[in-house]
Amino acid sequence: MRPTAPIVPLLAKELREVTAGRALWTMLLLVCPLVGYSFVQAVSLYSESSAAALQSPVPARSLSPLDGILVPTFGSFYVAVTLLFPFVAIRVLGQEKESGALRLLVQLPYRPSTLIAAKFCAVLAAWFMVSIPALSALAVWAILGGHLAAPETLNLILGHLLYGLLAGAIGLLAAVIADNSATAAIIALAVTIGSWVLDFTLAGRSGLSAWLLQLSLTQTLRPFEQGLLSAGLVLGIAAVIGGLAALTVVWLPPGTSVRTKVIRSVSCVLVIAVALTVAAQIRASGDLSEDRRNSFSSADERLLASLRRPLVIKVNLAAEDPRYIDLRRNVLAKLERAMPDVTVVLASERSSVANPSDAYGQIEYVYGDRTDVSRSTSSREILPLLYALAGTQPPAPSVGEEYPGYPLVVSADAVLLWFFGGLPLLIVLAWRRIRRLPPDKGSLVHQGVKP
Amino acid sequence: MSTVNDGFSPDRSAPLLGVRNLTKRYGSDGTAIDGVTFSAVAGEILGIIGPNGAGKTTLLEAVAGLLPVNSGDVFWRGEPLHVGRRRDVLFYLPDGVRPYQDQSALQVVWFVGSVFRRSEADIKSTIEALGLQPVLRKRVHALSKGYARRLMLTIGLLAPHDLLLMDEPFDGFDLRQTRHVMGLLRDQTARGRTLILSIHQLPDAERVCDRFILLSAGQVRGSGGLAQLRAQTGLPNGSLEDIFLALT
Repeated sequence: MRPTAPIVPLLAKELREVTAGRALWTMLLLVCPLVGYSFVQAVSLYSESSAAALQSPVPARSLSPLDGILVPTFGSFYVAVTLLFPFVAIRVLGQEKESGALRLLVQLPYRPSTLIAAKFCAVLAAWFMVSIPALSALAVWAILGGHLAAPETLNLILGHLLYGLLAGAIGLLAAVIADNSATAAIIALAVTIGSWVLDFTLAGRSGLSAWLLQLSLTQTLRPFEQGLLSAGLVLGIAAVIGGLAALTVVWLPPGTSVRTKVIRSVSCVLVIAVALTVAAQIRASGDLSEDRRNSFSSADERLLASLRRPLVIKVNLAAEDPRYIDLRRNVLAKLERAMPDVTVVLASERSSVANPSDAYGQIEYVYGDRTDVSRSTSSREILPLLYALAGTQPPAPSVGEEYPGYPLVVSADAVLLWFFGGLPLLIVLAWRRIRRLPPDKGSLVHQGVKP
Repeated sequence: MSTVNDGFSPDRSAPLLGVRNLTKRYGSDGTAIDGVTFSAVAGEILGIIGPNGAGKTTLLEAVAGLLPVNSGDVFWRGEPLHVGRRRDVLFYLPDGVRPYQDQSALQVVWFVGSVFRRSEADIKSTIEALGLQPVLRKRVHALSKGYARRLMLTIGLLAPHDLLLMDEPFDGFDLRQTRHVMGLLRDQTARGRTLILSIHQLPDAERVCDRFILLSAGQVRGSGGLAQLRAQTGLPNGSLEDIFLALT
């Protein structure tokens, strides 16, 4: 049996390495003004909307801190993670590769998977560090009197954590494949920025384009930004992160031939594909948004869950048609979550948009042996239609479920001082402190050698 | 010429490491090592000798399992040694590496010592043996070439493996330092370790090595102790340089 080495020195070394690099601290310093400006702008806009909403409870209901503050603030963090975090992750491995230290590292009594796991821990620690400005924005929002709903806030942070780990895993894989850090950076940015290109060029398309669009990294964040925690999505992201880590392990040992690495990589990719397919079948999800935007009312949800027969919805709309987008957001996604057996069939293709027929725009609902047709995209009309098809009475309207909204009129201009001055200063001080070597307390014998 | 290995007699009963027909080609650039065969017996210092570009580093990295080879086998005590198991029995110290440049020399040494579960006393004595104390608090990137080499040797000596492969271990040392390090390496073999050193300075090799593998253009041109090589070349008083020139 192989001797095993203690994990603590390896983890400590990885943490020292990631915090010793300028990439992490530079990113941290850049994130401060980026997040700060976004936060202050978000608070300003939220306050303007709140000022009008304070006069009436109806517009106030549309004021959600998730949409108004959290998503814009973390949106700038997302941009920074997309563009800069791969560099931090690349350094975790690329530095050792370029200096030759990797040839020492792989000879230490650790499995390659242990080495990569330790590097992932360093990437995770780096993500927590670079998220400090965004997390501090949440604290500032709370101090200003803003409302934070724990489930939706934690869900959003989880989404960004998974996205950060995804970007980190891409960076690590790029570092292990590429000869040097510059090439690794190009590879990593090609993937992350390539996702943006996918978003811009394929948005609203159907067929293969829609499938390709699902591969975009940015798609991973959308449900979290809507307060939705999807088990399939989380498992899918975890599978991709795990798969990228496995690929990194495959490409780490310098003594393995490229041919062997390619064969093992193909196996990894197949496993990732299977895992993604399985994850795509998992429909369990939780609506963690405080305003329950992803769900019908509790009474409707209970009644819909009791409708056990299959519901088939044939949508005679093109995928890029705004009506279909409305229908999907307002009705279909909620129905798929609420009912046990829902099948959506998108009947029309792009050609139908150019030559619309009379049937274009119709949505056919088939429940058991009963059928009805509607053109509405609103749940207020479709739910009664479904209840009629099922031969059941609509539930009594729920009382006290209305989302109150959280209007807040406040100025956050002074907070800019924190993001442009205080926090960067603290970061610089922390950087200096971490870079300082252990104090010299005399001879080697007196200090007992320990660093 | 003075040597530090006078009177040493390694156990030549069974090879510790065997290398057979090792070949490594780099695409269209040609063959780096071509059918190299040699063995190392326990307790000896074996020198891989050759000029720059002879294939010494390629050979050591191939033996260490850090470089995929086109063909050839490595044996450990007569048994095939799979690439994945090489690091269990041997440790390779590459040339020109400054590991973890933003960390202090002490942090690097401590990391390696901790990984190999070496006691604090062991770490301390190794540091003292290599004379690394004056630079322990310096960052690795700030070390002079000589101290960077000492740091690497400290790492190598902290590795508990029976066999150490060292690429140009005396590079960066002056004459006095070279002799000191040679003495340290000889101490290691006295404790039962086996060393395979890649050396391009033939006088250094002649001082420290028990046997030699003469490598040129990726091929073994001669092997054996100095006396054997002298007999082989018909140069009874020839230095290693003379022998090398005669054989290559």
